[in-house]
Amino acid sequence: MSVLAQAARRLPRSCLSDARTFTTSVTRFQAEPLQKPVLNKEFKIYRWNPDEPSSKPTLQSYTIDLNQTGPMILDALIKIKNEIDPTLTFRRSCREGICGSCAMNINGQNTLACLCRIERDTKDTKIYPLPHMYIVKDLVPDLTQFYKQYKSIQPYLQNDNPPEKGEFLQSQEDRRKLDGLYECILCACCSTSCPSYWWNQDEYLGPATLMQAYRWIADSRDSYGAKRKELLQNEMSMYRCHTIFNCARTCPKGLNPAAAIAKIKLELAAD
Amino acid sequence: MSSSLILRSTIPKSLASRSILGVRQAGSVSYKYVPGGPIYKGTANDPTPFPPSSRTHGSYHWAFERLLAAGLVPMTAAAFVTSGSPYPIIDGLLGISLIIHSHIGFDALLVDYVHPRKFPIMGPTLTWTLRATTVAVMVGVYQFNTNDIGLTELIAKVWTA
Amino acid sequence: MLATRAVGLGPSLRQTAFKPARAQALKNIVRTNFAKRMIQTERLKPEDAVNILNSQRLKRPSSPHFTIYQPQLTWIGSIFNRVTGVALSVLLYGFSLAYLFAPSTFDSEHVIEFVKGLPDAAKYAGKFVLALPFTFHGFNGLRHLAWDSGRFLTVKGAYSTGYAVIGATALSTIYFTVV
Repeated sequence: MSVLAQAARRLPRSCLSDARTFTTSVTRFQAEPLQKPVLNKEFKIYRWNPDEPSSKPTLQSYTIDLNQTGPMILDALIKIKNEIDPTLTFRRSCREGICGSCAMNINGQNTLACLCRIERDTKDTKIYPLPHMYIVKDLVPDLTQFYKQYKSIQPYLQNDNPPEKGEFLQSQEDRRKLDGLYECILCACCSTSCPSYWWNQDEYLGPATLMQAYRWIADSRDSYGAKRKELLQNEMSMYRCHTIFNCARTCPKGLNPAAAIAKIKLELAAD
Repeated sequence: MSSSLILRSTIPKSLASRSILGVRQAGSVSYKYVPGGPIYKGTANDPTPFPPSSRTHGSYHWAFERLLAAGLVPMTAAAFVTSGSPYPIIDGLLGISLIIHSHIGFDALLVDYVHPRKFPIMGPTLTWTLRATTVAVMVGVYQFNTNDIGLTELIAKVWTA
Repeated sequence: MLATRAVGLGPSLRQTAFKPARAQALKNIVRTNFAKRMIQTERLKPEDAVNILNSQRLKRPSSPHFTIYQPQLTWIGSIFNRVTGVALSVLLYGFSLAYLFAPSTFDSEHVIEFVKGLPDAAKYAGKFVLALPFTFHGFNGLRHLAWDSGRFLTVKGAYSTGYAVIGATALSTIYFTVV
């Protein structure tokens, strides 16, 4: 018996059951079987393989034991990829809700797989890629257009009169205006939950990009606000927003793009 | 490396790609941009362009739509209060406002679902059909409000009929 | 030698070099020649990269959207707002056009006569079908105006006003149907 397995034996039971088991770790492989009962749950996952482009996307079913899985949907996906089907493809990186890679549609809602708990019941969980996006493979959508749109709003500080010495100064009050805006991680959950974005994403910028547009309009250090607003003065870029509120409802970071867009509309109307 | 090898490796490829795409020309390849399609304008590093600025299509349109909608509420109430009176001014105003409100609503529908950039024939056709219909409806409502009993009184009478 | 190194045949070649068996050597010659063909490369221009990508893009499916998205008060309410608005507007447009082209058939007297002749059940059903979209669109319009003036712009606000609109619609629809 290896040293690791011996160490694992000495740990109290509760500690063992809490241990993350999504990797094929030596510890779990060699430790004595856990006494927890099997709690099987079915995951139905959207599959499409670009190597067989003529075959239509399908839902593939995987059943795993929740008592051998970590608590989050991402843990389940990694377990399936490691132990059942290595061809299952999805994006993931930080596993703590800050990179935005694992955005997908879980049980009908767009969210980050790493922040979404697995419901511990026997109902099946359906996992789709972000809605109305072109699919590169399985759960991986093509976000090119989303990033191109983000670039179009010039998401950087622009000011022709930089301070003579030192840095831009900002009052605490002005700084507070950026709270709830700058935290966006561009996971595209909101934009791909927006019906307007579904129908017109080639021209309508979508909630994520528009909230970032407002983040720079609202910044007291930026002097290009008027130009930024003028760019939105057309029927497509922003005014396809019909205040549906799917964006704020789905944001895994608890931000509110709908409110940001409403504020841009008010500012444009006041101009 | 012989020239026959080069031939062998390139000919099937060009044949294959031609058969898949159907439109590919030998030598120069061009993928047409289709709005909403999977081919994008420019490279991944080019920002998406903005349509030309126009306040009539932007904030003026938005503000007008809201003000009109807000005006409909007291107008509707006033029209029903004064319905049956010999001065159908509010009735006439309500009729015109409702039609403009409806027209803007229909137009938003067309912009959302049948925009000319995606439907180059059906889009403009429907837009102009809507405009013509709205004009006809304006005339119809005006005639009903002047020659007949007016919209609000009709509704009130039908409701209690 | 360069070619064999590129495909990782170096070690096996070195091994067989000490073996006198001619058959093995012959095999190796065949293998190296074959390997040369395997590493044939195509000359691609930079713009070809975009073309390859675009040819892949054209094959990509679009992921499902409203069929799989959870029905939520947010977007279902928004669709209902649009549907009710369109229904009322179609009625207005339809009646106005009908009056414009056939004023003698669709004048108020005939319309009222027609409604009077309907059975009670049809009258109540008709009132319900008219009152529901009108009251919903009206109350939801007020909700939109509140949002557009900067009020209730939170998820909580959206939901509480949404339920208020549904409640007000239900009550006023019942009222208008009975009256």
